[in-house]
Amino acid sequence: MSHMASGTINQYIQFVERVFRTCQGETLARLVSLRDEHVGNRNLRSSDIATLVEGNCVAPLDEIIIAHLSCVKALYMKDYEEAYEHQTTCVACVVRLIQAQQGENWNLPLLYTVSLDLRLVALKAEAAYPSNGKILEKAADSLLAGFRVCVGDTRTNEPYSKKIGMLTIVNQLLKVYFYINKIHLCKPLIRAIDSTNLKEPFPLAQRITYKYFVGRKAMFDSDYRAADEHLSFAFQNCHRKSIKNKKQILTYLVPVKMLLGYMPTKRVVCKYDLALFWDLACAVKNGNLRGIDQVMEEHESFFIQAGIYLIVEKLKISAYRNLFRRVYLAENSHQIDIASFQAALQIMGHDDVDADETQCIVANLIYDGKIKGYISYQHQKVVVSKQSAFPPLTTLC
Amino acid sequence: MSYFDFFCNNNDKSKPDNSEKIQGTCYSMCPQAEVTLRERENLVHVLEVAGGTRKLVKSYSRSAADSNMAVPHLLRPYRVLKDTVQYLLRDVIKRKGVSSLVLYDFLNDRLRAVRQDMTIQRLPPGECACLLEPMVRFYVYFGYKFSNLKPGDFDQVLNKKYLLESLKWFLYCCDSMDQSSKVEEVDVLNSFMSNLDISKRNPSYDRVLMESLYILCNLDDIHPLMRYLGLPKELKSNLTLELAYKIAIANWKRNYIFVCSVIKKLCPLSFCALSSYLPTIQRQALRVMSHGYSSKQLTVPVATVRQWLHFTSDDEALSVCRHYGLKTEERRVRFCKTDFKTDVPLHQVEKHFRHEEKLNLQDMDVIFITCQ
Repeated sequence: MSHMASGTINQYIQFVERVFRTCQGETLARLVSLRDEHVGNRNLRSSDIATLVEGNCVAPLDEIIIAHLSCVKALYMKDYEEAYEHQTTCVACVVRLIQAQQGENWNLPLLYTVSLDLRLVALKAEAAYPSNGKILEKAADSLLAGFRVCVGDTRTNEPYSKKIGMLTIVNQLLKVYFYINKIHLCKPLIRAIDSTNLKEPFPLAQRITYKYFVGRKAMFDSDYRAADEHLSFAFQNCHRKSIKNKKQILTYLVPVKMLLGYMPTKRVVCKYDLALFWDLACAVKNGNLRGIDQVMEEHESFFIQAGIYLIVEKLKISAYRNLFRRVYLAENSHQIDIASFQAALQIMGHDDVDADETQCIVANLIYDGKIKGYISYQHQKVVVSKQSAFPPLTTLC
Repeated sequence: MSYFDFFCNNNDKSKPDNSEKIQGTCYSMCPQAEVTLRERENLVHVLEVAGGTRKLVKSYSRSAADSNMAVPHLLRPYRVLKDTVQYLLRDVIKRKGVSSLVLYDFLNDRLRAVRQDMTIQRLPPGECACLLEPMVRFYVYFGYKFSNLKPGDFDQVLNKKYLLESLKWFLYCCDSMDQSSKVEEVDVLNSFMSNLDISKRNPSYDRVLMESLYILCNLDDIHPLMRYLGLPKELKSNLTLELAYKIAIANWKRNYIFVCSVIKKLCPLSFCALSSYLPTIQRQALRVMSHGYSSKQLTVPVATVRQWLHFTSDDEALSVCRHYGLKTEERRVRFCKTDFKTDVPLHQVEKHFRHEEKLNLQDMDVIFITCQ
């Protein structure tokens, strides 16, 4: 297709028409992609695209080509808002085209490409004219139209059904919703995917992306077991050379695993340039509250941006458990003074904790099943069970 | 669609050209047409009559398909809206001789009408923020004041809805102002000039209080915490706001001792906001304690429970413990994890009169009006 990098607008139109007639989905998708070589072709950036294309091209394709080339032109002019408008039109036209072609799905790559491009252009527009995510929210509405066409294709039998395209569009939508922090909107999409029953599985790459987002959502809903399951799938199946993606998955998988009691090895976190998790893991293991605070302070913006600041905050509870276990081992007794726990908390960085708050922390650990025993208020002591007073975190749910 | 969404949508649409904006031309608190109508139909509220004079305030009416509300002479411009809010929350609120429920219904209705006028005229964020801030205070205060009333008399859910509508709208206004000032800062000189502009730095509303209330009114929700984390540094490090965040985090970790111990440090309105969560916090705490102190023999003195969980009296603490199935003897509570009943409804608390002297309607100016 490199010849499209030069050549006239008429040649381009003829080529698009031929590819369309011969049902070459992938090639057609590249021809309306904003990430293809033809975008650099000056001949396609004429001053009056509409008049050149109109009447020169068969019906549903002309609108798409006009919208696409207008978008390219606007991008060169750095007018992102206008580019966004054109790309929105382009998506709407493609959705209409695909909906009209019943009983076939070779055209899905076209929908994937324009949908992905819409998200990228929307991001550009949002960066140029901040709107608190409103532009991306509208982009999501355009994407939803494509999603509906895929979901609604129930009549066509399987290898030709557009249902197979659902997941790719859903992933685009999930990306948008996570970006604009509207995570509650993901729920109906996830339900739609989970209830779809196709003989042929969705493409692996899309499944990985999907699991990554579903895992993050579960994490957000404090369902850490499910989060572990989804994120682990994503991490294990992700291509081993996609270091960047693997790092991204680990950013969430490691804290989730830590909450469930599995500490990362130094080798893994260093391999993916996430050494801060090693510092964090050490602090949690040692019950070093001050250490956790230091890591949180130092990497505050990273944690906040990734949306895991509050999860890290929650790791302090595991740190309490580990600290109290150390006190218990050192005292070598089943009856431990509240004062010993209080002193340990103070040494480790909780300077202003009093006996009442110490009891409260212990009571919560007992409530969660992280300590087996009870507090005696009268004696100001914690009495722990003779057997497995501190059951391993990995055995709790 | 709530006003808030409507406002957001319009705010976006109105950006390219402001020419289609509607500018109100009604320079009294109530349009003449409505005055005539209501006087004819005997619809003048008792609170609109003071002494011998009548002072009507535009009342709320739903937008219907056949009525056009975007008529300039029916809409009040910003100045008039501001005076209206001040009149309502500074003068009318002190009126005696009517029950406070009637007073609330009246004020709520008139404030809704103010928000409606704001929406239709698409007032700029700075003006919206000034008008909304006292409304938020109003809803927080009355949510607390009426916390013991039956649902038939006072609808907490509806009050919370209005509260969140006003509060989120206010925060949205702040965000869009932050954003536009960020764009300006690209121009170094411009940002230097805006630093000099004192009025811009000291707006006539209490942003910190509003951000704190957003956290404290939504203790069971994680979103306000995420919002807090994303705020600019200088706001985040404000002690009042930081305290609200710490309370929410402590509550999240079920650290009831911390939450209940700082209640005393809160300002009256923050206290009102937190109060509505007190029963939930107490129930959760008793549940945790029934596991932590679980024993067939041992007990905890009720005075301790009262002090830890901010009960008003020992007797209240005892009756709440019994309500959840815990055994009490003399002045002591026996915690046992199998006794705790999870299927009983949430207990009602007696109201705390901590700030009652401050929350007296007679000197409400401090609480309601900061904008001048």
